[in-house]
Amino acid sequence: MWNAVRGFLSGKSSRDVAKGRLHLVLAHDRTGLEGGRLQEMRQEIAAVIAKYVPIDADAVEIQIETRSRETQLTVSSPIQPRNA
Amino acid sequence: MGRAIVITSGKGGVGKTTVTANLGTALAQLGHSVVLIDADIGLRNLDVVMGLENRIVYHLVDAIRGKCTVAKAMIKDRRSENLWMLPASQTDDKDSVTPEEMRSLVCELKHTHDFVLIDCPAGIEQGFKNAIAGADEAIVVATPEVSSIRDADRVVGLLAAADVPARLIVNRISQHLVKRGDMLSQSDVIEILALDLLGTIPLDDHIVATTNRGMPAVLEGKSLAAKELNRIARRLSGLEVEDHATGGFFTRLGRALGLSATPA
Repeated sequence: MWNAVRGFLSGKSSRDVAKGRLHLVLAHDRTGLEGGRLQEMRQEIAAVIAKYVPIDADAVEIQIETRSRETQLTVSSPIQPRNA
Repeated sequence: MGRAIVITSGKGGVGKTTVTANLGTALAQLGHSVVLIDADIGLRNLDVVMGLENRIVYHLVDAIRGKCTVAKAMIKDRRSENLWMLPASQTDDKDSVTPEEMRSLVCELKHTHDFVLIDCPAGIEQGFKNAIAGADEAIVVATPEVSSIRDADRVVGLLAAADVPARLIVNRISQHLVKRGDMLSQSDVIEILALDLLGTIPLDDHIVATTNRGMPAVLEGKSLAAKELNRIARRLSGLEVEDHATGGFFTRLGRALGLSATPA
């Protein structure tokens, strides 16, 4: 009952929170990429994309995710419409 | 030729030494000849967990330095047939032994014993490298906590790089907390570490009491944790043990007869 109330208030059990935190921490641990280096990479990738298509460099997002022992790097960048 | 198995975790205090002592005792009770090596030079503890601290004369570093024979440094556990312990030195440090020296020591012991269990120190430095040097396989012990799993993950990576196949023991699970949503479950830990599961040991007060007495819990054998440790020992030695996931005898019988619609 208390669990249901707390779950309703916070939206997530502490178990789910722990899982989410682990996925993030392990992704960084496994690649050996510290936060600063990741941001450097984000800026460089944004610069490369900007050479080809118009983008807002600040909107480029970079993410490392891990499932099982596979680690994946995802870069997402909204492209601005032509002749904007 | 015996098997050398290193029990490791990265993080300290998750139960490596208790698991080593109990699996060793359980394997010996199954009739195997077993030697336990305390590889935690400078911070030995397997001796007190086993209750053999008063009988140490020589230790691992003495044996490697040739001060005595390996046989002389080993302590025979009188409670179990076929069980020996090789204690660590308390006055040397981790650098006083090299991985090559450990490998040849473990290899020598594999000729005379069915199982050589190596209790690895916490950390991933020299002591860890020494402990895994002679191992054919590894058991990674993790508790269902973020810090323990994070450190275990580092160790899993290092073991893979060293070509040592690893299996997982999830220690100190409380089903009550898992159900309440306040503890990572066995399957959460398996999913994150992506290791084969060797067994899950419940959080159990009996372990505190038996450790106080210096008596491995499997010698009494009644507690829940001891039962699981015995099952893990049987699984390690290749004896068939049904998994939690496949259910007990009646569940499997029911399934075989088509009484149960959903496989567990």
